[in-house]
Amino acid sequence: MSKSFPEIYEEVKAQVGKVRKIPIGVVARRDFERFAVAVGDSNPLFFDDAFARAHGYSAAIAPSLYLSAVLGWESGPPEDGLRVDGIPSRDSMAVPTAGLRVMGGGQDLEFHRAITAGMDVVIEFSVSGVELKEGRTGSLLIVELQKRFVTTDGTPLITCREKFIAR
Amino acid sequence: MGTAKLFFEDVKVGTAITPLVKHPTAVQLFRFSAMTWNAHRIHYDKPYAETEGYPDVLVQSHLHGSFLVQMITDWAGPDARLVGFRWQNRGIAIPGDALTCTGTVVKTEVQDGLGYVECEIEERNQKNELCAPGWARVQLPRRA
Repeated sequence: MSKSFPEIYEEVKAQVGKVRKIPIGVVARRDFERFAVAVGDSNPLFFDDAFARAHGYSAAIAPSLYLSAVLGWESGPPEDGLRVDGIPSRDSMAVPTAGLRVMGGGQDLEFHRAITAGMDVVIEFSVSGVELKEGRTGSLLIVELQKRFVTTDGTPLITCREKFIAR
Repeated sequence: MGTAKLFFEDVKVGTAITPLVKHPTAVQLFRFSAMTWNAHRIHYDKPYAETEGYPDVLVQSHLHGSFLVQMITDWAGPDARLVGFRWQNRGIAIPGDALTCTGTVVKTEVQDGLGYVECEIEERNQKNELCAPGWARVQLPRRA
């Protein structure tokens, strides 16, 4: 590991509260369906416009976790731009934890409006907090992120608070 | 799947959510990583995952979450609206595990004429080890 835990902690801490706007672009029906297929969830709300309309939506909708589960919305770096664990060393949602093992801790989501194909979506991304802790097996960082998914005209879609552990 | 109609009036504190059992495979993990642009090697490269001390490739955090959401939405039906959801990753899961999602209604309330239920939920493996506890808030249709 090239940097010490306290150094990484300070680097992450310096990002706290800074909001980055990350454009996702126009979301597409095929991606909703592929996400649902990958999960193994055949709910017709994701596949059948007529079914979705009969249940109060304007068209087929995205699975609830689709937007918040995608880890990168850019093309991403070439393979030599990945860390040894495969995580991109740099992208718009990257947090500087190089050399640490990271594990998703879960998410806390509020759903404001169903996502349908054609919406043009932006993430307002920020690191909302970071804690340096001593665990049973050594030091660990608990990093808290906030991602607000909104349309380009400002309509809130999803508010996501997320923690991950780096150790 | 997800087509039965459940009304707010049919549910009370203690009502059990219909369980959902999922059997993740290595192919499923690969496709979920591809779909979410997740290049983290612990999800598709077993020799690498072993270097981090894991027995096999790991079910992704958001796939655990998606299994819990699927249980909720299958149970609540297409007229329900998931308005809040959270989960935590507590234990790992690997291909070949049988992951059972269960839950119970812990609160019901009417706000502005709309019926809401809150549920404590969890996902456990075949050894009954906790993988992911969670919580959901769902708006259910009311009987006219």
